Amino acid sequence: MSGPVARYLRSFGAFWYDFLIGDRPELFVGAIAILAVVWAAVQMGLEPGFAGLVLATLVVALAGWSVWRASRPARGR
Amino acid sequence: MNVLVAALPAFLASAVEFVEALTIVLAVGVTRQWRSTLIGAGAAAVALAAIVGVFGSAIVLLVPIDVLRTVVGGFLVIYGLQWLVKAILRAGGAKAKHDEDAIYAAEVAAMRQEPPVAANGMDWISFTVAFKGVLLEGMEVAFIVVTFGASAGQLGPAILGASLAGLLVVALGIAVHRPLARVPENGLKFMVGLMLTTFGTFWAGEGVGVAWPWSDATLVVLLGVFLVGSLAATRLVQIRLDGAAVARLASAP
Repeated sequence: MSGPVARYLRSFGAFWYDFLIGDRPELFVGAIAILAVVWAAVQMGLEPGFAGLVLATLVVALAGWSVWRASRPARGR
Repeated sequence: MNVLVAALPAFLASAVEFVEALTIVLAVGVTRQWRSTLIGAGAAAVALAAIVGVFGSAIVLLVPIDVLRTVVGGFLVIYGLQWLVKAILRAGGAKAKHDEDAIYAAEVAAMRQEPPVAANGMDWISFTVAFKGVLLEGMEVAFIVVTFGASAGQLGPAILGASLAGLLVVALGIAVHRPLARVPENGLKFMVGLMLTTFGTFWAGEGVGVAWPWSDATLVVLLGVFLVGSLAATRLVQIRLDGAAVARLASAP
């Protein structure tokens, strides 16, 4: 597909990709995965109050992991 | 309380983004033509207002609050973590801080490469660059205003918070006539990231079946946990980079 419509669609997709995913895709995938896991755990009988603790812990862990990945010192610098 | 919840993040996010937009507008206006630049910036502001009005009203009127909070909460967690992680990396020294003076200089240099300004009439380069700059920076504000305002049921205060910040930045820009390099952008981004992550976790949690133990007061606990975690992460990044620098010096011939 080519032409102005395709170009517009590509720019539109690129804008939203950059907006929501950007250079830290693990945050996008991780946040969705965390919510899915907590939802599934609650459905399977996890106590809803405890689920909140699990959710907050997983969010902190995701942020920590992302920071750790991004702050790796470059080799040979 | 709900009014402040909606207005404060919108105000802070708007302040950060409009400082960045102001840098572009100033660079284009000073280098080329003020009239076309201001028309471009104004047109972008009108477009942003229309986007917030249309999407905000549609979401508030058409989407049930439970669905809204789950979906919007999820987006806020993603978006808040992106702001927060970037702010932590910048505060820790792993990522360069936003330098408005350097961005301004680069933008001025880029504008000087363009063909000369027409003596009369509209300068479309000024218009386009200013329009695009304000629209792109403002889209993040629009996203936060719509999501926060709609989820808290306070779209009006969110719009007001963002508008006040926009007016404040414009007034400061007119007063000092140069980029607002002294605004602590990273500190503001850190705070906005914390707020978005906190409220996103709270609302998305309710959406997926979490029962928060202290109801709305849990927000304060979540904010405290994320704040302590973020400060600790910032310190760990600094220690890690210092350690790497020492190791490099030790291994240098």
